[in-house]
Amino acid sequence: MRSSQQRRRMVTALCAAAAVVVVAGCGAGSRTGAETAAKVACDFAKPAQAVDVDVLAYNSSAIDPFTNTMIKSCSKNDVTVKHEPIDFGGQVQKTTATLAGETGTYDVVETYGFVIPKYADKSKLRPLDDYFTKFSAEYGLDKINKGMREAMTYKGKLYAIPMQAQMLVMVYRKDVFDGLGLQPPKTFEDMRQAAKKIQDAGTIKYPIALPLKASADIVTAFDATLGSLGKNLTNPDDHTANLDSPESQKALEQLISLKPYLAPQVTTFDQPAVQQQLYNGGAAMAIMFSGRMNDLVQQSNSKFYDKFAFAAPPVVDGGDVRYNALSVDGWSIPQNTQVDPELLFELIAASVSEDASKAAIPAAYPARDGMVTATSSPYAAAAIESVNAAPPAEPYPWTSEISNQITPVIASVFIGNVSVADGTKQMQEIAKKVLADYR
Amino acid sequence: MRRREFAALVWPSLLVMFGLLMVPLYRTAEWSFKDVDYGESGTFVGLDNYQQALTDERFGRAVLFTVGLTVAVTAVLLVAGYLLAVMVNRLARTRPLVLGILLVSYVVPQVVGASMFSWLFDDNFGGMVNYLINSLTGLEIHWFTDPWPNRVMVGLNVVWHMLPFAMLVILAGLQGVPEEIIEAAKIDGASPLMRHVHVIIPSIRGVLGFVAVIGVMDVLRVFDQLIPLSPQAEQIGNESIMLYIFNTAFRDGGQQLGVGSAINILMIVIILLMLSPFIRDMAKEARKS
Amino acid sequence: MTATITTPTSPVEVGALRPPRRGPRKLSWSGVLIGACLIIVCWMMLSPVLWTAMAVTKPTDVAFLNPPVFSYTPTFHAFVDLWETTNFYVNLSNTVVIAVISTALALLIGLPAAYALSRFPGWVSVALLIVALVFRALPRFAVVLPMYDISRSLGIYDTKLTMALALVAINQPFSIWLLRNFFAEIPKEVDEAAMLDGCSRIQVLWRIMVPMMRPGIITAGLFIFLFAFQEYLTAAILTDVDARTVPVFITTQLGQTLPMLQQAGAAAIILTLPVIAFAFIAQKHLVKGLNAGSVKG
Repeated sequence: MRSSQQRRRMVTALCAAAAVVVVAGCGAGSRTGAETAAKVACDFAKPAQAVDVDVLAYNSSAIDPFTNTMIKSCSKNDVTVKHEPIDFGGQVQKTTATLAGETGTYDVVETYGFVIPKYADKSKLRPLDDYFTKFSAEYGLDKINKGMREAMTYKGKLYAIPMQAQMLVMVYRKDVFDGLGLQPPKTFEDMRQAAKKIQDAGTIKYPIALPLKASADIVTAFDATLGSLGKNLTNPDDHTANLDSPESQKALEQLISLKPYLAPQVTTFDQPAVQQQLYNGGAAMAIMFSGRMNDLVQQSNSKFYDKFAFAAPPVVDGGDVRYNALSVDGWSIPQNTQVDPELLFELIAASVSEDASKAAIPAAYPARDGMVTATSSPYAAAAIESVNAAPPAEPYPWTSEISNQITPVIASVFIGNVSVADGTKQMQEIAKKVLADYR
Repeated sequence: MRRREFAALVWPSLLVMFGLLMVPLYRTAEWSFKDVDYGESGTFVGLDNYQQALTDERFGRAVLFTVGLTVAVTAVLLVAGYLLAVMVNRLARTRPLVLGILLVSYVVPQVVGASMFSWLFDDNFGGMVNYLINSLTGLEIHWFTDPWPNRVMVGLNVVWHMLPFAMLVILAGLQGVPEEIIEAAKIDGASPLMRHVHVIIPSIRGVLGFVAVIGVMDVLRVFDQLIPLSPQAEQIGNESIMLYIFNTAFRDGGQQLGVGSAINILMIVIILLMLSPFIRDMAKEARKS
Repeated sequence: MTATITTPTSPVEVGALRPPRRGPRKLSWSGVLIGACLIIVCWMMLSPVLWTAMAVTKPTDVAFLNPPVFSYTPTFHAFVDLWETTNFYVNLSNTVVIAVISTALALLIGLPAAYALSRFPGWVSVALLIVALVFRALPRFAVVLPMYDISRSLGIYDTKLTMALALVAINQPFSIWLLRNFFAEIPKEVDEAAMLDGCSRIQVLWRIMVPMMRPGIITAGLFIFLFAFQEYLTAAILTDVDARTVPVFITTQLGQTLPMLQQAGAAAIILTLPVIAFAFIAQKHLVKGLNAGSVKG
């Protein structure tokens, strides 16, 4: 008995040791950037003493090339660029936390047009205009699309250097659509009909996949629907909201009308979950940000990799404006960083330089002019078509605050806990309260 | 032991406990009366935060969910822990192996265990459990969005994590039951069931009570598990009190820190009330000895 | 009920070798039934780990396929990628370093206190033990959120030492309770004899008690280490980049896409394997600790 116990202990110990050996054998400690990372010029002056630069950026195949380029090209001359993998939800939470205090953990943060006004309004980010002028020639910054720079501008000051644009793109399973003689849908009504046909054919139970996570993505979907119906969230001139408008009601109803074709647990799905549905063959069409599209056509991710085709997203109900949201991703420098901002700016500039941007194609839609053509990637044509038919941005400091606060209401309406009429009333009340602070 | 010796031996520990627990606790109490954010001194608002917490429906739901989960999980822990302990108690050679396997869910970090647990129920991860249920019954259960299935899944996970502990403590209790009283019951012609109900369980009442107390204390504070297991907790009323504090006072920044702190204080009061019988007994016993 | 809390139950070695009342000498129906039940229970308890272990050793394109695939050629590329493309090893070493520091400190501070509490008669000891019990039952956020605020203003946020100190404090009530119960097992006459021989209290503690207490110290140390290793809530609030621990790392990966999602599963398995080994090796001590009184953090 004694010996059998000892033997068993030996075996467990050996198993544990073996596991360690296997893992350690794979080149412990080496850090390699992804193959998309470019080695570019990053010519900052050597700082007086060694500095660590902490970068906060969520992981996706569209963001990673820029992050990895920064790490790979700028970790030298006593500067160490550090980045920890994190999901999008984590980035949102950490951005709030790091910008809040007198000092923060991060020195460079990934931001997007939607949050710039909020943080700029509270002076949480540094204006970058002076550096932009200074380094424009060296890093070719003037080639960064002007419209995208404007998306990162608040009250005339630039708060982030754009790296790329993301717009909603529709992806569909060409084999399924062709098999049933379907065309990519042009309106929500088309989409419902196509979904119905696919459902009836019996292979795919929930043909439409949308990211509608109740704590986050669902508000983007609402905003895109409302935009396609021709309404904005708020009117900046008289500080009023449009959330109890007929369009707002209709937007909610339109989203709800898709429910029979969406997976029942769709309110827990973020974009990676939608990707997973597509990888698994669980859905025949989806609408997501373009930055998530390149993953779908990778053979290593899914056996359906060569079955996906892309189109611009449909309009909700006629008109030219599509179910779309245009988002510009970029790099910002927090007000509370201890690192020399000029040095940080050079890191940023290098990571969006021409070579770096080129290396990010096809995963991303870089912010530089003349980079993306219809043949740059499988989804590029759809992205270009999409970008020209997006609702206008609403770059006001209250936009993200209102969006955050109405998110649970939209979720409750979508789930069916609250009626559409009550929901729009509640949203309008919330927006009024927020807007009152900005008068 | 002389008083000076006692003081000399105890002070480092006291310093740590008071310095690192009392000071933060005092700050939480202070915050609970303020409109405040991290890094600010805040403004005094009296009992506003408490009023806001107590009138918030969402807080009411959180209390209901937490208390319900606590009661259900503790009951399951006692019953399943007892049954499992009785079975393990009959093992001889295989006992170390079985105990080792059973301990796994206790030693794995809860949040990691819950993540792995959630993958069993998530179609996007292959959902083994869904697959089994679906091939056996044709049912499709929405573990993450329907309130009751989600409650069951969360409850199962908490039981999964705590069952080894309950089982081991009860097992120790079973071993302390004198052989003679079981033999006596046998001679009296009691059936095995009767023996358990009338002889063994009463004689390990203390141990079962201990398992219940620890169960209550720990499930009331449930938090880690809900991060992976209930992504939609707020909408379906499955937010625990701790998760509610996290969501209000940390996740979206600290604007609601005052309310979160008030809830912290309320929770301390609840816990103190629940512990008061034990504290009284301890004090009584100490006076006796 | 109080008996178990105030007076220490003797730490019975359940896992050890006390012969069962009725050995399975002959194969009985009830024996077979119980065996079958236990096999099912063990399988259910292990299934989350087994399922994850399968998912992370599958090729990426079928890792999370639904309906799942059951036969595949195992591959370890998720582990390799995790190791090569992320700083996972830093998180792993953070977790271990924090656990080691906090265990060492907790024992160093807790041993004298627990000894004193087990020897000093009167209400002060009882009051302190009650305070410790209350501290142990506190909602964590009531101390951790202020710690976050204070550590940020002091500039010690996101350091391993802060995290370790926080854990020492948070686990201190448990440590002294458990250690005190072990000390109470040792008769007071031992101290008295040693003091007659001219030992001071401190000498009694370090030269006599600590060697006698070795199993108790190992048990307490294992538990403190385990709690520190498992801790998520405190680490989620008090660490960010430099001191990030594995449980926090894994939760920040749950919203990732392939292939990183599979790597998150691999991280969970890398963390779980040594812990399982630990469970088997330290089984006897864990069982002892669980039965020595108010355990479970």
